[in-house]
Amino acid sequence: MLPEQSIQKIINTALRNGGDLAEVYLEDTDRLTLVLDDQKLETATRGSDIGGGVRVFYGQTAAYAYTDDLSEEALLAAAEAAAAAARSTNQARVAVDLTRRIPSVTHPIKRPFDQMSIAEKAALLRQIDQTGRATSSLISQLMTSYTQTSRRVWIYNSDGVWAEDERFMLELRASLVAKRGDALQTITTGLGGQTGLEMLDERDPLTAVKEAAETAVHMLDAKPAPAGEMTVVINNGWGGVLFHEACGHCMEADFITSGASAYAGMVGERVGPDFLTAIDDGTIPNRRGSLRFDDEGTPAQKVTLIENGILKEYMWDLTEARRLGRESTGNGRRQSFRHMPMPRMTNTYIDAGPHDPEEIIRSTKKGLFAKRLGGGQVEIGRGDYVFAVTEGYLIEDGRLTTPVRGATLVGNGPETLRQIDMIGSDLALDPGIGMCGKGQSARVSVGQPTVRVPKLTVGGTDQPISGLMGG
Amino acid sequence: MNHIEVAKSVVKKAAIDGVEAEAYVVSGTQTSVQIRQGEVEKLSYAGSKGLGVRVLIDGKMGYAYTSDFSHDSLDQAVHSALELAEISDADPNRVLPEPKPIVDEDLAIYDSSMDGVSTEEKVVFQKAVEAAALGADERVKVAAMNMYMDSVTEVSLVNSKGFSGAYQSTFSGAYIMVMAIDGDERATGFGYGFGRSLKALDPQKIGRDAGEQAVKLLGGSPVPTQVATVVYTPFAASSLLGALSQALTAKAMQRQRTFLHDKFGEAVASDMVTLLDNGRLPGGFATRPFDDEGNPTGATRLIDEGVFQAVLYDEYSARKDGQVSTGNASRRSHTGPPGLSASNFYIQPGPDSAESLIADVEKGLYVVNVMNTHSINPVNGDYSVSAQGFWIENGKMTHPVNGVTIALPLDQLLYNVSQVANDLTFIPMMGAIGSPTIRVDGVTIGGM
Ligand SMILES: [Zn+2]
Repeated sequence: MLPEQSIQKIINTALRNGGDLAEVYLEDTDRLTLVLDDQKLETATRGSDIGGGVRVFYGQTAAYAYTDDLSEEALLAAAEAAAAAARSTNQARVAVDLTRRIPSVTHPIKRPFDQMSIAEKAALLRQIDQTGRATSSLISQLMTSYTQTSRRVWIYNSDGVWAEDERFMLELRASLVAKRGDALQTITTGLGGQTGLEMLDERDPLTAVKEAAETAVHMLDAKPAPAGEMTVVINNGWGGVLFHEACGHCMEADFITSGASAYAGMVGERVGPDFLTAIDDGTIPNRRGSLRFDDEGTPAQKVTLIENGILKEYMWDLTEARRLGRESTGNGRRQSFRHMPMPRMTNTYIDAGPHDPEEIIRSTKKGLFAKRLGGGQVEIGRGDYVFAVTEGYLIEDGRLTTPVRGATLVGNGPETLRQIDMIGSDLALDPGIGMCGKGQSARVSVGQPTVRVPKLTVGGTDQPISGLMGG
Repeated sequence: MNHIEVAKSVVKKAAIDGVEAEAYVVSGTQTSVQIRQGEVEKLSYAGSKGLGVRVLIDGKMGYAYTSDFSHDSLDQAVHSALELAEISDADPNRVLPEPKPIVDEDLAIYDSSMDGVSTEEKVVFQKAVEAAALGADERVKVAAMNMYMDSVTEVSLVNSKGFSGAYQSTFSGAYIMVMAIDGDERATGFGYGFGRSLKALDPQKIGRDAGEQAVKLLGGSPVPTQVATVVYTPFAASSLLGALSQALTAKAMQRQRTFLHDKFGEAVASDMVTLLDNGRLPGGFATRPFDDEGNPTGATRLIDEGVFQAVLYDEYSARKDGQVSTGNASRRSHTGPPGLSASNFYIQPGPDSAESLIADVEKGLYVVNVMNTHSINPVNGDYSVSAQGFWIENGKMTHPVNGVTIALPLDQLLYNVSQVANDLTFIPMMGAIGSPTIRVDGVTIGGM
């Protein structure tokens, strides 16, 4: 990247009108995407996104200017633009020497992306496509994609921070349509992580697509989901997206300091049962949300959000941490150099609990088992959330029975968390294709063991089943 | 070198030995301002640019992009695109469009007054939004995501069949979310405004809308599970229409990824429903003279008084059906080839006012906000979202409602539209979605 003297010069320019902290962020991202649809490799895209931004903090204000030109001149111009916004209340200041930070965690990859030709990658998609279609004649449509991203970032600031991170992301996706008569069922599956091509050896994409195809066909027999309040058991792994959406976002510091979140001012208070512990951990090796440093140069950390039911900590970026004169937790992330950082989750999960997962189902007389959740959304102010259940089953007398479609879970995050009455011992993280949206998109991972909520509102089109409640 | 010249040079480099090539350049400036408690929290400025090159070798497509316009980098992009085309599968329908005449008319998408607006004016504007929101009622306590953003964008497109065109547009938008707090009760309200320039936006209205909505929604609770009438505000209806717009593309029809795939020519909705797409609607947020592969934009009547009579086409899907493109090729940025999506997509307004429509409802839910709209499934028509709004009893709003779901398969929902009001409002989403207030009967409300 740019020589150290250039960076110093840019930082000093950024601070010429005063300011408390100046930061330079540089990025070089290369992406390859292949899409196979309707049995044809129809889109093959490659490109690079290179650019940088200069940010100046003065008091509680941050000014940012970015450019897609990484020359010293272009970055100096960005620094000028950011500096122009700084009020001249402070003396111009000079940055301390930059000290390169050594990462305490690494996410090494074994097989770089160039160890397979593009043609071989295309052949892999064809194989996945054929495997999915061969699973059942009812699979009417199949779209698969391969995406590899190499993202290098450099972060420098006037406090002497110099951090570099290199993130290799691999992602395989398949979305299937099963069709029988008028009934159509869609399902999306995939594998991903911060990994090289070794992922293809370690986790079998063919098995994943076969399972997805079987599920899609199976769900053709699904009945419309009942509507009303009932006991809901949420599957392990990707089921953790419910905690991510319904509670995680409410623990992001920007919503805390503004007072918008229902969890503001709740540190030290009980927010869940004593067997509930929840963690955001950017240091887990090679997961989709993992980092060496966040996008502000803060080392990735393991943050215990809730310990034995007590709220312990929120997720902080530099902006929010500076407001309170505290340290960032390494949760400052940005979609690209075109965006300013904000507090974001990394890999977020509910930790293993005391209950036998099979016993959780067995002890449920009537309810809904949410095996596969679709997307969800939360309204931060109250913590109200909503989730689509893409694969669900009725629980009757402790056994899974009829598959149901079109179910939606609706509730209030803090309320649901308090209500959880069983947490399984079967902690699992998701397959690694999660994307979180908060005005900017971020790659994240979620996870949890099997979790039971005794009473949740389920939205469906079918009439309520009388007595579909209870434990 | 100006951008049309950059695009021409890239096309020239790529289009040799019978290769068809197209270059798309998007460039512009963006500003955003975030205000918190009367102070500037975040300011961001930028100028940016990007180029995407699409090549077709005997129906095999390759695509590459870059934001670096140096010779080496542009050469590299052309090289990558050609290399990727080689591994793609051939499809005889994949060709670039022949140039067609583009009508020269003022589409009202560029407002030159944006040039003269200083950052300070934008800051003052958004401070006024916050003040109006907090001043709407003493129970409005917290403003979050209080943001103004604008952009000036230039698009240049050139292809090897002889097409060459460029246009400029401006956009200005403001958004605020507030919390009303009263004892243990909390409720969220939001306000927004969009236009082609700052002068088109009213900070007082945006702020007041947010504050008043939050206060009105305080104390909301679920209603019992039942089947009842639902009245959607334009904002609440827009997500529903967004899913419908995907279901009405030729690609979705050809690949049977729509619940309407075998319904062409049939009645699919009540006769109150006329759905249109118009890429030339003056001032529309998705209006432009030509689409993202150079075909002229135009108007398409998709559903006419309930009858499904047209779909949206780009060049590829049109050739597949022996039709002509409707000018609906579009891309989110230079980082991907054009896809197929709606432009200004809307329900034709009816004669009645929104108030009279509510007054006719005996028992039902007036929905102002819905969540989880991305789970609406245009393939099989599953529709189940959570909703927030007010309960209607004998034509009057009685109390706020939240924590309920509303669900009905989309095919039935279209049939159950029983009234359409006259207050057509557009929301910029993917393209621009417009709806008046609409009434739908027989919706399952999931609550207590
Ligand atoms: Zn999220």
